Amino acid sequence: MKIAVSATAGSLDAMIDPRFGRCAYFVIVEVEKNEIKKSESIQNPAATAMGGAGIQAAQLIVSKGAEVLIGGNIGPNAFGVLSSTGIKIVTGVGGISVREAVQRYLKGELKETRTPTTPGFGPGRGMGLGTGRGIGRGGRW
Amino acid sequence: MVQEEVLAEVEDGNKMQIIASTGVKGGVGKSTFAILLAFKMLRQEKKIVLCDCDVECPNDYLILNQRLKNSKPIYQEFPELNEEICKKCGLCSKVCREHAIFWVENDYPKFILDLCTSCGACWISCPNKAINRKKEVAGKSSINKIKDNFWLITGQSKTGISETGPIVREVKERAIKFSKKINADYLIIDTSPGAHCNVIQALLNSDKVYAVTEPTPLGAYDLGVILELTKKLNLLTEIVLNKADVGNRMKIEKIAREFKSKISIEIPYSEKLIKTYCTGRLEKMVNLI
Repeated sequence: MKIAVSATAGSLDAMIDPRFGRCAYFVIVEVEKNEIKKSESIQNPAATAMGGAGIQAAQLIVSKGAEVLIGGNIGPNAFGVLSSTGIKIVTGVGGISVREAVQRYLKGELKETRTPTTPGFGPGRGMGLGTGRGIGRGGRW
Repeated sequence: MVQEEVLAEVEDGNKMQIIASTGVKGGVGKSTFAILLAFKMLRQEKKIVLCDCDVECPNDYLILNQRLKNSKPIYQEFPELNEEICKKCGLCSKVCREHAIFWVENDYPKFILDLCTSCGACWISCPNKAINRKKEVAGKSSINKIKDNFWLITGQSKTGISETGPIVREVKERAIKFSKKINADYLIIDTSPGAHCNVIQALLNSDKVYAVTEPTPLGAYDLGVILELTKKLNLLTEIVLNKADVGNRMKIEKIAREFKSKISIEIPYSEKLIKTYCTGRLEKMVNLI
C-alpha cells in the first residue's frame, strides 16, 4: 500500500506540511505488512501554481498510486476529486514527522476525514464535480 | 463578433474615444473621477456612455441614484463531457492552464467549474470532440439613461464566481456596441481596483487611461503597480491625484517620473465633494476637475 504525505522537505524525517496543494514535497511511503518498506520524495510542482494547485497535486498523488493521503488541511476542490478516486484522506495532522504520521496511521490512531477542512474562496466552490454543476453557485445575485 | 472587429468598426465609423479610470487601491476615487469626468464632458456637449466594469461590486449606479434597468443576462460557456465519445486520453487536462480539469489514467476527466475561465482550450483541443459547451448565466448587464446624452452601462457578476474577466469582456463589448449605435463621443470605463484579469480586460484597447491615486504610501505603491501594468499593455496613462492637498506627494511624483507619466488632474480634498457623493449629487462638483 502506498501512502502520500504532504511534507516540508523530501525525506521520511521531514515535518508534515499543513498545506495540501501548495506543500513543498510529497513523500510517497510504501508500506507492507504494517511496516515502512521504502519511500520516494517528489517536489510538488503545484506549490507555486497560479490557481488549481489542489487539483494538480491531487492528480500527482493519484498517478503515483497512493491509496491514502495524510496531511494537515485540504480544500474542497482537491477533496472532491480525491474522494471520487477512492483515496482515503486523513487530515488535521501536524507537528510530527512523515515517519511518525505513517506509523500512527498504521496503528489506527489517525481517522479518515469526511469533509474538506478549508473553505476555498467562495460559496459552493469545489462542489462542481464531474460533469454536473456544483450546488451553491445558482444562488442570488 | 469579437472585440477587435467591433473596435475596428468603431475606428472606421466615428472618432469615439475610450477612456478608462483605474487604480490598484480601493477607495481612491476611481468611480468618483469617472462620474465627474462624464459630467464634465456632458457640459461640453458630448455624448457619453459610462461603463461600470467593476462587475463584482458595481456602484456607479448607486452614486448616480439609479436602480438598474434593462437588464440582460451574460452567459459564460463551460465544458460538459460526452462520456460516450470520450476516450479518456487526458489531453484536455494537460492543456488547461487553470488546472481546472482533474484527470487520472483510465478515467474520465472531471471539470472543476469554479476554476474554469471559459478559455475553450479543452473543447478546441479534444481530438474526439467529446467536450460540449454548456451556457450558463454568469452575470448581467444593465442600461440606464441618466439624462440626455448620458448613459450608464453596468456589469454585474453572479455572487460566488471567482473568475470575472470573461464577464468584464462581455459587458465592455456590449458597451462598445451600444456607444457605437448611439454615436457616443466618449466611452468611459470604470474598472475595479487591482491589476488582475478583470482589470486588464477593462483596460484593453483604451485610448487613454487615468490612474487615480492619493498621496499616501499605499497610494504611491499601488500607483507603481498600475503604471507597470499599463506600460506592459502599452496604454497612454496619466495620473489623477485625489486629495492632492493633503498627505505627502513626493512619492507620487517620484513614481510618475519613473514611468514618465504626468499628474494631469488634481482633485483637492473637499468635504463638499464627500457630501455630494453621499447624496448622489456629484454633478455639482464638476468644477473640481
